[in-house]
Amino acid sequence: MKRFLLGTAAGAAMSIASAAMADTTIELQRFFGACDADYGTVTDVSAAVGECGIITALVNKFEADNPGIDVNVTTVEWPGYDQLNAQLASGAAPDVVSMHYSVISDYQSRGLLEPLDGLLAGQGIDPAAFTDAGRGGVTKDGQMFGLPFDNWTMLFHVNTNLMAQAGLMNADGTPMLPNSIDDLFAMGAKFKEATGKPYLVQILANETAAYARVLYTLLQQQNSDFFADPTAIKLNTPEAVAAVELMKRIKDEGLSTEAMDYPAAVSGFTNGEGGIAINGTWLIGSFEAQSHEDGNALSGGGYTVYPIPQFFGGRDSTYADGHGWVVPKGALEDAEKAEAIGKLFKFLADNDFQWARTGHLPAVSAVFDMPEFQGLPHRANIAEIAQTGTSLPAEVQRQFAIQDIIGEEVGSAVNGDKSVAEALSSAEARINDLLANL
Amino acid sequence: MAKTYAPTDLIANRRLYWIAAGLAVVMMAPVLWIIGLSIKDNAELMRGTQQVFSAPYTVVNYLNILKSSNVFGWFLNSLIVALGQTVGVLILSSLAGYAFARLEFPFRRTLFVIVLFGLAVPEQVVIIARHQMFNWFGLHNTHIALILPGLSSAFGVFLMAQFFRAIPRDIDEAALLDNTPPFRIFWRVLMPLTLPAQATLGIFTFLLAWNDYWWPLISATKKEMFTLTIGIASSQTNFAQSEGLGFLSAQAVFAALPIVVVYIFFQRHIVTAVSGGAVK
Repeated sequence: MKRFLLGTAAGAAMSIASAAMADTTIELQRFFGACDADYGTVTDVSAAVGECGIITALVNKFEADNPGIDVNVTTVEWPGYDQLNAQLASGAAPDVVSMHYSVISDYQSRGLLEPLDGLLAGQGIDPAAFTDAGRGGVTKDGQMFGLPFDNWTMLFHVNTNLMAQAGLMNADGTPMLPNSIDDLFAMGAKFKEATGKPYLVQILANETAAYARVLYTLLQQQNSDFFADPTAIKLNTPEAVAAVELMKRIKDEGLSTEAMDYPAAVSGFTNGEGGIAINGTWLIGSFEAQSHEDGNALSGGGYTVYPIPQFFGGRDSTYADGHGWVVPKGALEDAEKAEAIGKLFKFLADNDFQWARTGHLPAVSAVFDMPEFQGLPHRANIAEIAQTGTSLPAEVQRQFAIQDIIGEEVGSAVNGDKSVAEALSSAEARINDLLANL
Repeated sequence: MAKTYAPTDLIANRRLYWIAAGLAVVMMAPVLWIIGLSIKDNAELMRGTQQVFSAPYTVVNYLNILKSSNVFGWFLNSLIVALGQTVGVLILSSLAGYAFARLEFPFRRTLFVIVLFGLAVPEQVVIIARHQMFNWFGLHNTHIALILPGLSSAFGVFLMAQFFRAIPRDIDEAALLDNTPPFRIFWRVLMPLTLPAQATLGIFTFLLAWNDYWWPLISATKKEMFTLTIGIASSQTNFAQSEGLGFLSAQAVFAALPIVVVYIFFQRHIVTAVSGGAVK
């Protein structure tokens, strides 16, 4: 009887202990959407596709592998920073949050994020394992304030069916792409003559980010140090004028689709309304999938993708940002929760290849060497972005707000509502006013 | 005797009907568009929304709503908040409106002007202070936090006060002569006469609460407490929703159903309200 009682007590104690382990809950808040209907129970990550599917499956797999840890996911409307601000103000921030590298400095500079060097070291995650772009994106004042997850950038998504029609394909099946501004206009004219369609499909309406990303790229390609002082931008420069005049000339000479917002530009490219879409890494998977389906302009494998070519003589560079995972201040005070978050980060870093299937570039260097990654469509074409991708300086704050201002002003210049000089002066004044009043 | 119409009247009426029908089509187009999107495959829509005009159609987006466990919780939250605000506003606005219209008390006019100032103060002005206050009281992520701010309805108090003023005082006085207590006069005699205004106020309050986005966005930050507006926005599958458009549209249709029901059942009152009939 005594043994029975002892055995029962031991069993009960073990149950309580395992229940206590199961009580470790990580509150994870992210964008990338909700797709519980399709992936709510999927733990085979390789079977998932798209940002939402892959991150949902990754979390499911982590929970399955770690029965003592529950990850409670809250999805927010992209990018979700209004909600995060409200949560931080009310002391109810989640434990882990998805965050763009370009936004980390806004929160880090106000002491709202935990430095993660110790946490990552505790899990055996070596900062050197990340790409320079990934590590640089989350490093502020010499400390890592996030787990780098990917890098993304704008790309040249190419409709090779239309390029072939225009006689702009090489013998090896790759498209001819411009290597200079003169090339761009010559190829654009040839393309239009052969197909009757504009060479480029651009997002020129109702969106500011695309203008800013293209401008940053063109400035970087001229070695313009427009944020030499991270608290003040310099846009009244010959480099900025040259960049915006190029953007305006593309539109004025009919090289680009007009008045398309983001969704219109995406579907416009799929429908063959132009030859090259300037859009992000995240669309590679979708366009590639459509190129293997019938009934669209990419059908028959008519799709490939390349980095934005170098148009200016300075250096080969493309503006890049990325997604990381950050931990709001205070979330590591509970040692058990900190351990669980560390395990989650280790899992995400170890599975960075899976995330790279979305089209984003890996943040973990070793993924580039994986045969599985190299076997993904088009990744060899864009792998150089790991070296050429360049963010704004980490110290620059309010990068989303700056992006909006640049988008508005450059958009006005490109669409002819303001002169180029006037738009750049206005953008510079507005941004510097913003940065002077933080 | 039935009214007779001259032929010219009939022609004019027919023209009016055609114009009205044309305008109705214009008004209905976005609704039909989103219903069309909701019954199309997401991948097809990514190739262009013009796919909505051709078969095949599917109900898979609606089935996916049923599979997603959160949507019904968000629906319930929206219902609790919208009904809670509607009932609260009707009670408080009726009492306050009656007081301003019928009772004599110190600073009545001044207080009424102060209440009316509420109509001129946009929510953005008070949102930070309100967020902090609710934080101090630990109310965020509760139904109470979502309901309370909507209860201070300056429009409701104004509407009800105007309506009570329009009711002849002879009715109150007749009841007083019968020794009816003041609250009974309010509740049994005057309140039934204010039903058109109550309906107007109730409908507007319900619609505003159902469609509210900003306050729930920053107060209800846990997914269990999301209202439909926040929940649906959080379900967007990627940047700018170029993917998953059909599913998003299906959710929007689902979210709009209660509003459609409200319109169908209270159409007459809504027309009266919008045309200003409630305060006449």
